[in-house]
Amino acid sequence: MSTSRIAVLGLVALPAAFFAAFFLVPLATVLIASIMKDGSLTAANYTRILFDTYHWEVLATTFRLGLLTTVICILLGYPLAWYLVRMVRWKAWRRICVILLILPLFTSNIVRSFGWMVLLGRNGLVNESMEGLGLIERPIRFLGTETGILIGLVYILLPFVVLTIGNALARVDRSVEHASADLGASPASTFWHVTFPLSIPGVVSGAIMVFALAVSAYVTPALLSGGRVTVLAMLIFQQYSSVFDFNYGGALAITLLAFTLAMIAAASLVSRLGAR
Amino acid sequence: MKSLSLLLSASVAALTLVSSGASAQDKNLTVAWYGGNWGDAFQACVAEPFTKETGIKVTAEIGTSTTTLAKLQQQASAPTIDVAYMDGGISELAQEAGVLAPIDLSKMPNAANLSEKAAYKAGNDVFAISGGYYSLGLTYNTKEIEEAPTSWEALWDEDYAGAVTIPSPSNSAGIPFIFFLNKMLGGTPADMSATFAKLKELDANMFFDSSGAASNAFQSGEVIIGAHFNVGAWALADAGLPIGFTVPKEGVWATDARLHLVKGSKNSEAAEKFLNTAMSAEAGQCLAAKLYLGPAVKNVELTPEVSRKLPWGEKGSVDDLLLFDWNEVNAKRSELTETWNREVAR
Repeated sequence: MSTSRIAVLGLVALPAAFFAAFFLVPLATVLIASIMKDGSLTAANYTRILFDTYHWEVLATTFRLGLLTTVICILLGYPLAWYLVRMVRWKAWRRICVILLILPLFTSNIVRSFGWMVLLGRNGLVNESMEGLGLIERPIRFLGTETGILIGLVYILLPFVVLTIGNALARVDRSVEHASADLGASPASTFWHVTFPLSIPGVVSGAIMVFALAVSAYVTPALLSGGRVTVLAMLIFQQYSSVFDFNYGGALAITLLAFTLAMIAAASLVSRLGAR
Repeated sequence: MKSLSLLLSASVAALTLVSSGASAQDKNLTVAWYGGNWGDAFQACVAEPFTKETGIKVTAEIGTSTTTLAKLQQQASAPTIDVAYMDGGISELAQEAGVLAPIDLSKMPNAANLSEKAAYKAGNDVFAISGGYYSLGLTYNTKEIEEAPTSWEALWDEDYAGAVTIPSPSNSAGIPFIFFLNKMLGGTPADMSATFAKLKELDANMFFDSSGAASNAFQSGEVIIGAHFNVGAWALADAGLPIGFTVPKEGVWATDARLHLVKGSKNSEAAEKFLNTAMSAEAGQCLAAKLYLGPAVKNVELTPEVSRKLPWGEKGSVDDLLLFDWNEVNAKRSELTETWNREVAR
């Protein structure tokens, strides 16, 4: 009994140590900083945030971008996952598609965001080709707008959705679809009543991942906004990097965390109720 | 309950792992400086001559000024960094944080040539010496703008609408640049409302956080005029891009990369020698040639090609630079950042 307990302790100690050192301790540091000011306990950092419409506007921008990114990623990612899992017959081609999908994840966000800055700029490829085709007369402004940030975030986060949905689709037992067809359901009706509900866990986990990454993203919004649109992560960075107010910055970080968790909890509640 | 005690003992194990990170010292000097071409230049111009002279190896600890300050604060009880390069502004914060050791210039023969402005004092003690000046000047695309603009007012020129950049408050030059504009527009430090009204009118393409983002925007043609550092602007021009840098009639705001001795360093003698090497005319000349840093020592001879690219421009000197009192800037940092967020960045 005691030897097995020691063995369990040994096995759990390393991951728990890792978790404590790299997650709990930093998070606790931020949390403690957020409730301190000039050496004493206070809620002032939070009231400063919550009783100020400016912060609510920034939160709204952040979550609007997060939600739109999630919705667009799912709308684009689902057909893509479907194509990869259900339509590609040739194995090598599927492998190439997956590699193409994952490859960008190996380059840094910064490089990819700079890439979009080149594409979306005043003289960028997008504007030049639209001007060349006579679609527009003056370059459209993408950089420094929410649209620009949205394009960058969708591009960076799309692979996560495709992978989780693709995984869920691959697990769907094809015999239940065949049964549905045998019972006279049309392919569309089979999809909506059988396949899609079975793939929902993949959609939900992809959506949660994308949403959490989108609302906490710093590099992409910072570069593509050109400092003209502000999301919460940029305010946090500003406090830590240039104002050095770790108390207010910490409170901003905890606020973002709390709102994100609340949104995710609400979403999973809705999806659980919907599943009933 | 059992699982809780298991978790707790695991966390204790984790904490002991974290706190036992200190390492032993040997005949080696650890110097904190910046990344990229800055770090390379400090390596070639200061560290290599220092090693040649003293036989002491230099280990570089790479990070921005802010990161270095954070490291110094964390290591306050047992520092592993002996000498730290930090920019003006952060330098004063480090002094306030009490992580610096006083610099005794009488032990350093090369200090005789240091210009008076370049030794920064708190009370009677020197806490930093300048390693070279750089400025935030008017940078423009020479293909789009043929003649060098003579005034900062060019940023508001209708021809360049939507293609202008200036630093954001997240950049180390952001807040000082607001001070600079405020002075130029005749505002007082107490009332900057006119300056913010003017900033609101600016049709900017972007407000840059990092100087790399500014360089990138000038390179791609996204931006054709703006405030950029002489170091970055001339690096673009040297790479063959149509970029010019000019010192307008209102002058330029400037700051410097400074050297500091770290309090509690076990290699203080070697660290003092390092500072002495950094103040040599050769080091000043080398940094001017590589980064166009304006030398802080008086006896540096430069070629005309290098001279014209220095922070004070073709005809100027160190006296033309507007070096603000960083303590004044730091005191207003939080308030101005907030005003900027509400008035400009939306």
